[in-house]
Parts: sequence; structure tokens; C-alpha cells
Amino acid sequence: MEVIKVENLTKDYGNGRGIFDLNFSVNKGETFGFVGTNGSGKTTTIRHIMGFLKQQKGSCYVMGMDAWKKSSEIKKYVEYIPGEIAFPDLATGTEFLKSQAELLGLKDMSYANKLIEMLQLDTSANLKRMSKGMKQKTAIVAALMADKEILILDEPTTGLDPLMRQTFLEIIEAEKKKGKTILMSSQMFNELETTCDRVALIFGGRIVDIADVNKIKHTTFKSYKIEFINKKDYEYFKTLNFKIVRDQEKYNQVTVKISNSHLKELFAELKKYKLKFISEVDYNLEKYFMEILNKDKRSDENV
Amino acid sequence: MFSKALFKQSAKANWMRWLTVTVATCVMLAIVIIVLGNLAINDIRDSLKNVFVQADQESSLKEEAVDAYELYMTSVDTYNQTASFSGMLGVVTNTYDGKVNTYKTENDGAEPSDEQKQIYIEETATQYSGFAGFVGMEEAELKAYITSILNFYITKYDATKDEVLFDQYFLEQVYTEAYAVEIAKEDATVESATERANSAKEIAAAAISQYKTDASAQDYEYKRENYVSYATNYVNNTIMYDNVYKMQIQAGATEDEAKEYAVTVKVISNTAISTYELWLVEYENQNADVEITAEQKADAKSRACESITDQIPEKVGEALSELGNMDMYGLIIGSIFYRIAGLLLPMVFVIMTANSLLAGQVDSGSMAYVLSTPTKRRTVTVTQMMYLLWSLFAMYAILTVVSVISVWVVGGNSFAINFGEILLFNLGAFLTMFAFAGFCFMCSAIFNRSKHSLSIGGGLTIFMLVCTILGLFGSDVVPSAMRIDAMNFFNYLSIISFFDTVSILNSTLSYLWKFGILLAIGVVTFIIGVFRFDKKDLPL
Repeated sequence: MEVIKVENLTKDYGNGRGIFDLNFSVNKGETFGFVGTNGSGKTTTIRHIMGFLKQQKGSCYVMGMDAWKKSSEIKKYVEYIPGEIAFPDLATGTEFLKSQAELLGLKDMSYANKLIEMLQLDTSANLKRMSKGMKQKTAIVAALMADKEILILDEPTTGLDPLMRQTFLEIIEAEKKKGKTILMSSQMFNELETTCDRVALIFGGRIVDIADVNKIKHTTFKSYKIEFINKKDYEYFKTLNFKIVRDQEKYNQVTVKISNSHLKELFAELKKYKLKFISEVDYNLEKYFMEILNKDKRSDENV
Repeated sequence: MFSKALFKQSAKANWMRWLTVTVATCVMLAIVIIVLGNLAINDIRDSLKNVFVQADQESSLKEEAVDAYELYMTSVDTYNQTASFSGMLGVVTNTYDGKVNTYKTENDGAEPSDEQKQIYIEETATQYSGFAGFVGMEEAELKAYITSILNFYITKYDATKDEVLFDQYFLEQVYTEAYAVEIAKEDATVESATERANSAKEIAAAAISQYKTDASAQDYEYKRENYVSYATNYVNNTIMYDNVYKMQIQAGATEDEAKEYAVTVKVISNTAISTYELWLVEYENQNADVEITAEQKADAKSRACESITDQIPEKVGEALSELGNMDMYGLIIGSIFYRIAGLLLPMVFVIMTANSLLAGQVDSGSMAYVLSTPTKRRTVTVTQMMYLLWSLFAMYAILTVVSVISVWVVGGNSFAINFGEILLFNLGAFLTMFAFAGFCFMCSAIFNRSKHSLSIGGGLTIFMLVCTILGLFGSDVVPSAMRIDAMNFFNYLSIISFFDTVSILNSTLSYLWKFGILLAIGVVTFIIGVFRFDKKDLPL
């Protein structure tokens, strides 16, 4: 079931800024990621889904409802952590969470308290003097306490220290396990890679590609970087029928891409040479997208 | 359409500002009213006013004296001119009576009809008109005169009175003339005209009696100069002194007080009459043999009746008189406090609060927390509007209580500004702030940036206040000596001009439709704000 469905969504701010003809959908229980540089359109897309912006073209549905027209209706299912953390003008975290609970119509605060405990958050602190990490924790509690079906996060880890980021990702993981549908944006490939099922790369307001993270993690190819001690061996190896993706003559280095089924042949061959080192090159989301972007660039240049 | 939680949030976020502004404005207002009430700022103004009132009174006293004097002199003059006729009058009436008696004999004692009487009068008048030369009149003139006297003789003559026919006729003429002059005046009533005519008759009677006394002396020859002192004495003592004395006693003054005041009046009267007579003599000399004209008399009178204020140049006099009539309490409490000083702090509250309720939260991004709950945008705007209106209403409710108490402390309705006026001032100030609140709220709803909302909403609001300050120097409440009329232009740039404190103080009703305009401005801008916020993009 498609919980979020975006079709030909367009918002043109002029000068090439904005989003253009976005198409994607997020299924129930799925964790969907958005990755892209600053100004690529991640936040604009999320604001459309939240019903804060009105699309110029296309449509945007949440739970089958028009996100703009039924903006308040969809909030019954959506919880949101905004990119910029600015709280209402209230004294303490407790006061803010109480006010937020009232707005949500939430009477049972047990889950909120559990979250506070998990995050080791001191809610009695002055809202204005909170550190970035504390503010983020407060924002997380405020968003998650109603325990709704869809969670939307806009660059939630920006500005967090690595330890905080780890805790945060654990919470997301827990929410995911509960079966929540999650949509999050980030500039970091690795955190999306660990949490998301699918990741969309957005560039210049357009979706370049939507990658299935599981497929990337379990590729049928592996890449190895090999350095030969002797130049002669290096030269000889290159003549063999292996797919060389990178060649660094200066260091006698080659990077070989080989399918899992041919691994034995490679290692049998390598036994014949004196090697300085051999290491497996990680293949990840970043590499995957870089390849796509480079391919695009190359094809652009060819045209 | 209304969220209690959001209302509470707004109240918590803005209560400090609300309290500060409310307390400060209340203190200012109480000080203004109480200090003004005890300081009696109108003392100088009152004394200035008294100068003009006294000058007016003095002037009218002088006029009365000169009029009485003039009447006395004219009566004596006229009587003297026509007195030679009075001797002849016995023969004339006898002739007429003879005709009537003949008629009666012929008709078995029946009275002749009115038409028949007129015929006898006509006959008699014609018969004696030939004597015109003896009494120094034209023939036609004498005939008309005899007709007039005979008519008086048969209709109004009261033979039982110890007065001769001619005197009665003369006094009747004086009465009729004086009555005609009086009733023609503005705001004259039958009573006032009758009273004036009676006193004119009294003066004329006094004049005639004096004339007769003199005439009975053997070597009498009419000399006007002789009557100057008679007339002066009569007017000073009988008309002015006695009357004033009686009136003062009636008004409850002690004898000494009444005497003192009456003497003052007598002195004023004497001065006026002397001046008048001096001017008449002066004109007489200028004219040589020609009679004094009516204009010259009027001129002499106006010179005699001049008061202190008439000697001040006209423009200066006007300015002083205006200062004397200026309502200082109305100016300071109405035009300065309620329209300027007392608006400033509530304005700051409205500008800042209206901005923080919408634009400020959109700009900072905190609006995202409200809108990520199932709260409609319409609910947000309506709730925030309610908060703004409620806080403003509470502020002015408290201000109203404070102002009413302050007015009560300084003397209630006897204070220069009464309870009704102070209530209307508060209502007007509230409606003015309501209009500004609507405008600032609209700006806050339209703009996503605080700086835009503040510079348009707040900027224009403060601009209008400044225009009202500048416009004050061109408005009618400032005395003309300090007024620069061109500055009134600024009043057209500010909606505060619709808060018409002058109309409230003058109890005219034009403030009502102006209140309506303020209300309309507020309602329309609030509605625009609410609808605009529904439709716009929010960068949250």
C-alpha cells in the first residue's frame, strides 16, 4: 500500500531552483530516504508532503488524501521533525511538551516518558538555553510521543555529535521495527544506507535515481585493489581478461571488479605474483550514486 | 476554529509584555487625570476668561447707561418741540367732542359708529391744520399728528389718571417705539420687550416731569445743556445704582456688598455718559451749525462703551479670548493622552504581539510544531486573533476602570471631563487599537518574515502616530496663536483622526460614524489576514 505518493510534483522558484516532476511513492512500513546536496530540493519536497506548500503542478497524496487540501487531516497520521529547530516561546521543555500534547489531543504520556527516559533528557531545562543536542532530543520526543503511523524527518542528524547521532539512528531503527512508514532526508549517505530500504538521490530538483539499499549491500560484484611489487607482474596482469576499473601505473596498482562466481579464478591467478597488498573496496550507496552521477555527466559531455 | 492549547501558549509567550504595557499605561493615565484634577491648570485660563467676561459685562452696562441717557435727552428734546401744541389740544378735543355730542342729540343719545367717528376726526384735523405755522409744522404733518392724537383720545386715553392727554399720548409713543425696537432684536421675547419698553416709558416720564418743573419756573427757556446733568444724575442714581442695588439684594448679597457693587456700576455708568456727552460736544463743534447725524451718535456711543478688550488689537484679542476659552483638560487628556501618549505603549504591544503570533513563528520555524498536529491553519489564525483581541480588550477594560476611578477621585462629574466622556475616550482608544491590531495582524499573516511584517505593520502604525503628533499643531484644539494650519495635513495621513475626541467633548455625534470606520478597518484587515494565511506557502 502506498502511504505517500508523489506524482509529477513541481514547484519552480525560478533560476533553476525548486523541484521538477518528482515521482515516487513510499509503501507502508518502508523507510524511504532522500539524499542530495544543499538546495537540491529535499526540504521543498517534504514541505509539500506536509501540506505547508502548494504545488504548482502534479499531486501529492498521504494516506490517499491530498496533502495540501487535507493538510490538517493527514496530520492525524504524520509526525514531523523539522530541519530547523525553533521552539515556541515557552519557558521549559516540560511546558512545551505539555502544550504539544494538548495540541495533539494526547492524554496518555507514558510513551513520551519512555522516550524521555531513553534519551536521558532533562525536560525541566530552559528551552532557549538548551544545547543543539538537547533541543533535538526534545523535538524527537515532541514528534514521536503521539506514536502515529508515518514519521517524516528533515535532515534530523545535522549538527549532532557522532554519539548523539548513533542514539538517534537507534531510535529510528526502533520506530521502523514497529512498522512505521518513515521518510527522512539527509546529506549523509551512510546513515541513510543503514536505516533506509530505498533511497532517492535528488539533484537540481530532480530525482536522479531511486536505489534499493538491500540490493546495493548484497551486490553480485566485488572490487579489489591490488598493488604489485614488480612492474613486470603488473604489466602482465593487465593483459589478462579481468575487468579493471581503475589503473594507477605509478604505484603498480589496479582495481578489479569481479563477480562473486569468478572470485576463485582471480585468487588462483594472484597466487603467481608477489603482491604488496590486496584489499577489498567497499561498494556502497555513495559509490553507486557517484557512478550514476558520473555516467550522467559523461553522457552530458558526449552530447 | 479555536484551540485552547494554542491560546494558552500565546498567553504564556506574551503575558510579560502585556502586563508591562498595561501597568505602565494605567499609571500614566492615573497620574495625568489626578495631577490635572488637583493642579487646577485652568486658573490662568479662568482669569483670562474673566477679563473677557467682565469686559463684556462692563460694555453692556455702559451701553445701558448711554441708551438711558440718550432716551432721556431725546424725550426732553421731543417734548420741548411739541409742547407748544399741547395748549391747542384742549380746543381740538372740544371741537371733536362737540361734533360727537351733536350727533348724540340728533340720534336720541346713541353713540356714533366707528366710521362716523373717523369722519369727525378727519373733519377736526382738517379744520385745525391751518394752524401749522403757529406750532412750527407743515400742514399735512399737523393734520396727521392731530389724527393720531384724536385716535389715542377716543381709544386709549385714561381720563382718571392725573395726567394730561398730551403727556399720556407722548409716553405711549415712547413705549410703542421702544417696544418695536426691542422686539426686532434677536432672542427678544414679548416679556423682555414689554419690560424694556416700560423702563423706556419710565425714563421718558422722568424727563417730562423734570421739564415741567423747569417750565413752571417763570423765566423758563429750554436749554439742552441744563438737562445734561439732570439726565446724568437720573441715569446714574435711579437707573443704574438703584436697580443694581435692588438686584444684588434680591440675589442674596449683604447691604454693604450690594452698595459697593452698585457704586462701581454707578462709576462705570458715569464714565460712559461723560465720554458720550464729550464726544457729542466734539461732533457738534466739528459740524458747526449742522445737526449731529445718526452715525456720529452711534460712533460716540461705541467710543463711550469701549471696554479694555476693545482697545487690544483685534487679532491679539481673538487669540487671548480663544486661550481663555480653550479646554485644557480636553486637550491634555483627550487629544494628547488618549490619542497620542496613551496609544504608544499599546501600539508597541500590538505591533510586537501581532508579529510574534504568526510571522514570527513562521520565520523562526516554530509554527511547524503547531501545524504538525491536526490543527487547521484557520484554527491557528482565529485562535491567535482571539488572543490579540482578548489581550487588547482586557488592557482597555483595566484602563477604563483605572480612568473612571481616577476621575472619581478628582471629583466625578464635577471634574472638567465627566464619566461619560472618559468612557467614550476609552472606547475610542480601544477601537483605534482594534484597527491597528487588525492591520498588524494582517501584515503578520501575509509575510513570512518578521522583518517584513514588522517594518510594514509596525512602521505604518508608528508613522500614523507620528503624523497625529505633527497634526496636533494644525488642529483646532491648539489655540490659533500656536497653530500652524498647514500641519493639519498630517491628520489626513493617520487613521487616529477617526478617534474624534473633540466631537466627544462637544457632544456632537460625528464621533459615532468615525468609530464605525475604525471598527470596519479592524474587521476587514482581520478577515483578510485570516483568509490570506490559509492560502499561502509556509516555509516550515
